[in-house]
Parts: sequence; C-alpha cells; structure tokens
Amino acid sequence: MLTVVKNQILVCILSVKYNIMREMLNKVTFLMNVTFMILNNASILIQWFVLFRLREDIGGYTMREVMLLWGLTAASFGLSRVLFARVYSLPELIVSGKLDSYLVQPKNVLLSVMTSSTNISAIGDLLYGLILLAVCGLGVRGFLLSLLFVVTGMIILTAFALFLGSLAFWFVRVEMLSGEMVMGLISFATYPDGIFQGISRFLLYFIMPVGMIVYHPVHILVRFDAGMFFTVLGYACLLSVAATVVFYRGLRRYASSSLMEARM
Amino acid sequence: MRRQEKNAGANVGVLGKREKYIGRRYGLPGRKYGVIYRSVLMENLQYAANIALGFFGYFVFIFIFIKLWDYIYQTPGELIAGYSKEQMIWYVMMTEMMWFGSNAGSVGRQVKTDIRGGNIAYLMNKPYHYTLYILTKYTGEWSVRLPMYALLAVMIGTMMVGPVPGFKIVAVPVMAACIILGLTINAVFKICISLLSFWIEDASPFQWLYDKLLLVVGTIFPVEIFPQALQPFFKLTPIYTVCYGPAKLIVDFRPDKCVEILAAQVLYLAAGCGLMFFVYRKGVKKLYVNGG
Repeated sequence: MLTVVKNQILVCILSVKYNIMREMLNKVTFLMNVTFMILNNASILIQWFVLFRLREDIGGYTMREVMLLWGLTAASFGLSRVLFARVYSLPELIVSGKLDSYLVQPKNVLLSVMTSSTNISAIGDLLYGLILLAVCGLGVRGFLLSLLFVVTGMIILTAFALFLGSLAFWFVRVEMLSGEMVMGLISFATYPDGIFQGISRFLLYFIMPVGMIVYHPVHILVRFDAGMFFTVLGYACLLSVAATVVFYRGLRRYASSSLMEARM
Repeated sequence: MRRQEKNAGANVGVLGKREKYIGRRYGLPGRKYGVIYRSVLMENLQYAANIALGFFGYFVFIFIFIKLWDYIYQTPGELIAGYSKEQMIWYVMMTEMMWFGSNAGSVGRQVKTDIRGGNIAYLMNKPYHYTLYILTKYTGEWSVRLPMYALLAVMIGTMMVGPVPGFKIVAVPVMAACIILGLTINAVFKICISLLSFWIEDASPFQWLYDKLLLVVGTIFPVEIFPQALQPFFKLTPIYTVCYGPAKLIVDFRPDKCVEILAAQVLYLAAGCGLMFFVYRKGVKKLYVNGG
C-alpha cells in the first residue's frame, strides 16, 4: 500500500517536472512570463496605497494585513495552478470527451488528470505571494505558519475548482460558470472581509470558501486561535474528500468522444 | 440537347449577374469589412446565453466596489476627489461595463494565436488588411456583448446605488460615440502589443502590464484621485481616452470636457492606427513559415 502511494506521488512529481521542463524550452518566454506576472501583481499595490491615503484602515485591515491577504491568495492560487492547472480546464475535457487517455493509464485517474498541465505564469504568482509573506514581518514561526496556510489554501481552491468542474459530468454549460466562480472567489479573496456584512459575509465563509482560504488564515496570523486553525485544516480535508467523491461519481457518467489522442 | 444548352446558358447568365451584383455591392473599399462584421455579429447572437453566464464575474466586481466605497465614504454627501459616492460607484460600473462588455483580451489572444500557430500565413493573403480584419471581427463581438452588459449595469446601478446624479439623457449619443471610440483605441493598442509576437514568441506578459495599468489607474479610480503631479502624465496615456474619458462623461457630463475627450480620442486613434500598420508591416517581414 505504502509503495503504491509512494509510486503515485513520484509519478505526480515527474509529471509536474516534465510540464515545467517543456515550458522552459524557450527560456526567454519562460522568464518573461514569470517576471512580468510578478510585476503585474505588484502593480495592484498602487490601488491599496491610494485607498490607504483616503482612510487609515479598510475594513479593519492595515497595509500589513492587506499584504498578508494578497500574499496568501497569490501563493495559494499560484501553487494550485503550478501543480494542478488541469483542474481549471476539467469541464472542457469532460464535455469534449478527452478523458480517455487518462482512463487507460495504470495510475490514479484523478491525480493523472490534475497534474497533466502546469501554468507557467502561476510560478510568478507563487513567488510574488511568498515574497509578500516574507516581507510582512511575521517572524520565522509566523512565516512557517503562513506556508502551511498556502498549502491549505491551495488544497481548498483546487478542491473547489474540482467540485465545480466535475459538475460538467451532469451539466454541459458548467465550463464558463465554474471559471467565473473561481475568478469571483479570487476577486473576493483580495479584499478585506470587514467591508462585507450580513448575508454576503455568510456566503463568503460558508458557500464560497474565501473565508477558509484567506480570511481565517490572516486572522490567525495576526492573533493565533486554535479553534480557527483546526477549522481551516478540517475544512480543507472535508472539501477535498467531497470533491473527489463528486468527481468519481461523475466519472461513471462519462461518455468518450472516441478521439484518438496520445499523452507524451 | 439544345434545350439543355439553353438552360445552361441561362444559368451562366444568372450567376454572372449575381457576381456583378456582389462585385458592385462588396467591391467598394470597406464593404468587405461590413460583410465580416455582419457575419461575426450573427455568429455571436447565437451565443447570447453563454455571454450572460459571464454576468456573475461582473456582478462580483461591482458588489465588491459598492461595499468598498460604502466603507470609505463615511458621511452622506462627502466628496472624494470631487466625486460623490454615487458618482464614484457609477464610474467603476461604467468602466467595468466597458471592460467586461468588450472582452478586449480576445483581440490579443487571436493575434497571438494566429502568429504563433502560423495561421497568419493564410490570413495575410486574403483581400483584406489583417489588422483591420481583426478589428472588425472584434467590433462584431462587442456589438452583442456590450449592450447586454450595459443593460445589466443600468439595472444593478439603479437598484443598488440609485440613478446617476445629474445624468443628461440628451448626451447619450455622444457618450455612446465616446465609448465606441474608447473600445476601438483599446483594441488598436492591444493589437499593436500582440504584433510583438512576430519578434518574441509570446507577447502576453506585455498585455498583462498594459491591462493592469488600465485597470488600476483608469478603471478602478478616476484620474483625479491620484496626486496632482501625476495627473498630467496619466492624461497623456491611453487611460484618458480608453476608460477615464467615457466614464467621466457619463457620471459628470460637461460640453467642454466632452469636446476635449473626443478630440483626444480622434488623435489617439489616428496615432494608434498608424503605429499598428507600421508594426504590422515591419512584423510580416520577420515572418517565416514552416511547411505543413
């Protein structure tokens, strides 16, 4: 059992490694993608400098907390799209019947699909996020804790995208809607939760998992709360299991398009 | 046999007439772009339901900004950079409407894909100018999207913010012209950036920076919110003609400002088109095609 898990992890690592190596064939394009994505993300700080000129705090957040928010969001999103980019285009694979080549492989179908693509510009997102977390003055313990939250954020984000993407087994038009939902989630994640009240706050914590990806982690990093900490860990596990179950349930309904395709 | 020949002759005659008719109808310069525009428009009308699925993203963005400005404006009637809360929210709603309703990213993607994939070798031989073909196609796309987003923006704005203070309904045609010019200028600049793919494999990183500049400086905030020293500089960038100008006219219409913005747009469009033709002419010389 342990050997099987070890082999599967090794296959996943190799898959991501070869994805990145393939993209690195043109080194100039690769470096430009990564560097410009960092600059692209950094330019949004202008918005926050302008807003903090108007008010000392925005939704109870100072510039430091906003940087934490951005750091966690960018790093979680980046890590998710470096390791599991295919999850974000899963509906397209399902609707066009292109899962066949994964089904015939003697390895875990879901992990093979998830790790079959890497978004190179997401490396820029990941680096930008890590740089922001490093300059926030969290200390060594705080920084290590923030890295843990990057991983939980990545798991929740990936599971959310997988859950939505898997709905394409039942509904054809999920493709665009799931993309919009994920981008909507990212948009919410980059603004302080203090500006949202009432029903919108409830939605952000319980329907769209923004609260679990960034808001709770930011609160924990500012002031540690064991209850909140275990809630985030538990939620990450629960959503992953739920998304996996939905994917495999849906896979029973999958219909091939008999497309000849080879994975290299 | 004779009867058959007679009929055949009749067919040739009919076809000949049709060809002449088509030639007369579409032979004039610019007519062919009209045909492209109409076919893209008809195609996009078939996918109106898909476009409506994108409303969610627009709503999320507007919702966030309504909440953000609600938080920042503490007292009723407060002005920030000369804008009331309602004006500020309507400003963001209009710029975002143009952003979402135009989907300008598709222009860049199309040009990049054509150049990288080699499809441009087929398109550049057609009896049209490639860049104008892309521009026309794009116009056909936003002609369906933009009115849908405009309707959504008006509905959300009226329900969640209230009407635009001092809105001048008689100026709507000028505002529409200003929006159309803004979208076209934006597309021209995006094509220029994508044409860099002739030299570098992927021009997307430059598109990101250009988009982010428009988003942060002109879409989310009006230019007046930035320090006084930076404002003249921003007025020289595409921000002034692409997003600030049209949105400013909608939330705070003044005839003198309108003339100034329209004049700037015409100048920018002329300069942008000149640059686009220049970069394209230089770029195609760099093109080499692998057979296949």
